Amino acid sequence: MSANDRAGRTATILCNCSGIISGQIAWDQVQDHLAEHPSRPLFRVDDLACGQDNLEALAEWLRAEQPARVVVAACSPREHLETFRGMMRKAGLNPYLLQMVNVREQVSWVTPDPAEATEKAERLVRGALERVQLHTPLAERSVPVQTRVAVIGAGPAGMQAALTLARAGREVVLIERESFLGGLPVRFEELFPHLECGPCLLEPLMGDILHGALSERIRLLDLSEVAQVKGAFGNYILSVQRRPRYVTEQCIGCMECSAACPGRRPDPWNTRGELAAIQVPFSGALPSIPHIDAASCLHLQGGTCDACVQACPVEGAITLDQAPERLEVEVGAIILATGALEKEGVPAAFAGLPDTLSAYAMERLLASNGPTEGRIETPEGRPPASVAIVQCAGSLDPAEAAYCSGTCCQAALKYEHMLHQKEPALPVTRLVREQVAPGLDAAHLAAHGSVPVRYAGPSDLSVEGAGDSRLIRVTSTGATVPAELIVLCRPIVPGAGTPAAAHTFEVGTTPEGFLAPRHGLSAPCTSLRMGIYLAGSARGPGDLREAFASGTAAAGLALSDLVEGRDLAISPERAEVRETDCSGCQTCLPVCPYSALTWDADLRVARVADLLCMSCGTCVAACPSGAITGHGFTRDMLRHELEGVLA
Amino acid sequence: MTSVISPEATGSIARPPMLKVVAFLCNWCSYAGADKAGTNQLAIPPELSVVRVMCSGRVEPTLILEAFQKGADGVMVLACHPGDCHYKEGNLRAFCRAELLERLIPQLGVDPLRFRFDYISAAESDKFAQITRSFVDGLSRIQKTAAAR
Repeated sequence: MSANDRAGRTATILCNCSGIISGQIAWDQVQDHLAEHPSRPLFRVDDLACGQDNLEALAEWLRAEQPARVVVAACSPREHLETFRGMMRKAGLNPYLLQMVNVREQVSWVTPDPAEATEKAERLVRGALERVQLHTPLAERSVPVQTRVAVIGAGPAGMQAALTLARAGREVVLIERESFLGGLPVRFEELFPHLECGPCLLEPLMGDILHGALSERIRLLDLSEVAQVKGAFGNYILSVQRRPRYVTEQCIGCMECSAACPGRRPDPWNTRGELAAIQVPFSGALPSIPHIDAASCLHLQGGTCDACVQACPVEGAITLDQAPERLEVEVGAIILATGALEKEGVPAAFAGLPDTLSAYAMERLLASNGPTEGRIETPEGRPPASVAIVQCAGSLDPAEAAYCSGTCCQAALKYEHMLHQKEPALPVTRLVREQVAPGLDAAHLAAHGSVPVRYAGPSDLSVEGAGDSRLIRVTSTGATVPAELIVLCRPIVPGAGTPAAAHTFEVGTTPEGFLAPRHGLSAPCTSLRMGIYLAGSARGPGDLREAFASGTAAAGLALSDLVEGRDLAISPERAEVRETDCSGCQTCLPVCPYSALTWDADLRVARVADLLCMSCGTCVAACPSGAITGHGFTRDMLRHELEGVLA
Repeated sequence: MTSVISPEATGSIARPPMLKVVAFLCNWCSYAGADKAGTNQLAIPPELSVVRVMCSGRVEPTLILEAFQKGADGVMVLACHPGDCHYKEGNLRAFCRAELLERLIPQLGVDPLRFRFDYISAAESDKFAQITRSFVDGLSRIQKTAAAR
C-alpha cells in the first residue's frame, strides 16, 4: 500500500486486553466484516494497547501512518480515554480525532456467547467508525486562575481561614452578614475548657483583620451577603449585597450618638433589654463603629429626627442617606464558614414558663458586657434561689434534632463551674440524657464533684411550683431538682446564613441542613463543588478547637488547589452558539445549570461563556433551531453513531 | 456470527434476528453503572448498543425518534437519580423530555413500551442488568405479537 492510499484512513486499534477481550471477541471476523467500510479502517490488533511500551509503539505507528481519524476498541473510556488522548498527542494528532469503543466492560465481560459478543463488538466499532468521521480537531487551552479567595462568615473559623490565607500572601475578601466580627464566641465571657475569655482569645485575630500588615490583604465586607454566584473553580464572580451601616470609618467610637438616639429596639444580642437604633451590638464589638438599625431609626422610617447627627462630634461620620451597595467580587475559591446557632423555641414541658433561658442567653447573663454585667439574676432582676441546667433539651429527640449537639455538655459544665465561682452557695444541677465530654481537657471541669441527674427523654420531665420553690420532676426516677432559673441547652442547628449559603453556592446539605462535606471522614472541609471549601460549624455542631482546625484546613486546601501561575485547562468539548442560526428564542438560557448562556440584547443571540460551560450538552438538546454545537457530542456525531450501531 | 434472517425465512427452528436496542447512558452515573456490570461480569443483553453522552440532558427527543426511524426496536435513556446529576439538573430535563415522548410516540404508531426512561446510579449494576433484560424481553414479546398478527 502506498503512502497515498493510506492518507485519510481511520486507524482502528483493536485491543486484546491480554486475552480478556480476545477470549470473547473474534477480532478477525470484525476486521473481515468492516474491511470495506467507507471510513477505510486501517486495523491493528494489540495485545495490551494501554501498556506503556505499547503506547510508544502505537504513537510511532500513528506518526508513520498519518491517519485522518483514530478508533480504539478497548476498555471503558472512563478508564483510558485520557491515556489514548495522550497517545494521540505523542503522535502529533489532535486528541479529539479519537473515539473509543468500550468492548471490555460493556461487551466481553457481559456477553457470555462469543458469537453474540463478536456481533455486538462489530456493531459498536461500526458506530465509532461512522461517528469519528465527524470529529474535528479541537484546540485545548487554559486560562489563568484568580488566586483571591472569598471567606463567607467572620466567626472563628472564617477569621482563621482569612488570616491563614493572608499570611500566605493571598488576597482575601471576608464577607460577614452582621456588623461585627467574631461570630458567637466573641460574646462568651469564658470559653471551655480553660475558661479563657472569648473576646481575649479572638481580639488578636480581629485586630489582625482590621489593622496591621495582614489587614492590607483582607478586604472586610460587613453587613454583606452573597446574592449570586457565577462561574467555576478558578474564576468565580460573587455578587454581594451590602447593607448600609450609615456610619463611616471616620467614626471615633465615642458613642455620643447612642446616648442621644430616641429610637429603641429589642436587644437581640443580649436577648433582654433594649438598644438604641444607632448603637454597637454589645460593648467591645469590633469594628468599634455603631450601626443604625433602619427599622427602628426614626429618620429612616420617614421622620425628621437627626439627633445622632447633632450629637456626633465628627462631621460626616454619620451618613443617613447611605444607600445599599451591589458589589462584584472575583475570586478563584470560596470558603464557607457560616456557622451554627442554638435552635429557637422550648420543649413542651417548659412552654410558657417564666425564668427560662436558652444556653446563649446564659452565656450573655454570665458575660461582664451582658445585660446584667455578669450578675446572676432572673429576667425580673431577682437573684435565683436555684439553677437547673437541662441538657439535651431537644437534641437526641427525633421530633427536634435526632443527633447529639456535641458541645452542650461542654457549655453546661462551664456554666456550672462559673455559677459556682460567682455564687458558691447557689444550688446548680445539670439534667442530662447522655453526657459527652471526651478529650484531655474536660475532666478538670467535671472534677469538682458535679453529678448530673439523668432523665429519659422529653416526656420524662415536668415542672412544678413557681418562684423559689419551683422544681423539675423526673417522672421515671422520682428525682426532683430545684429550678427557680432554668437553662435549656437547645440543639445546635445551621446558622442563619447557612441555608442561604447552601442555596446560593449550590453545595448541598446534610439531612439536618448543615453544609455537606465531600466525605465526612476523609474530606470534611471539602464541599461537593470544586473550589468551595467548608469550615467551622456550618458543617455540623463543633467546638472552637474544630473551628480553628477546620478554618486552617480549608485555607490549606484553597492554597494547594489554587496556585499562582498554575493555569486551569478548559475542555474544548463545550457548547458553542452558531450565531447565524440562533433565532433568539432564549429557550437555552434557563436550561443551563451553570448560567453559562448569556443573552446579547443588541444582536439578539445567545452566547456561551467558555469558563462557565461544563459541557453537559443540555442546551444543545434544548435548542429548537439546532444552533448550539456540543463539541465532542454534536448532533451529527450522535446521528452517525446511531446509524453505525443500527446498520 | 449470527446472521440476520428475516422472520419469514426462519420458520420456527432458526434463531430470531437480533433486536436492535439503543441505550443513551450518561457518563457519570448510568454509564459507570454499566461499566460496573462489566466488572461484576453480569449478563447484559447482546442486543444493547450503548451510546455514551456526558449527561442525559444532552439527548434531544428528535434523536430518540431518529433512532426509531433508523430501525431501532427499542430506545432507552438512563440517567442519574434525581439529586445525583453531575450537572445538577440535566437528568430532570431528560425526565421532562421522556414524559413528553411517552405521550408523543403512541401517536406516531410506536408502541410506548419500546421506549424507556429510568435512573441508574454508578453503583446499580444489578439494576442495569435487570432493566435492560426486562426491556429487551418486552421488545421480544412485542415482536412475537406483531409476527403472530
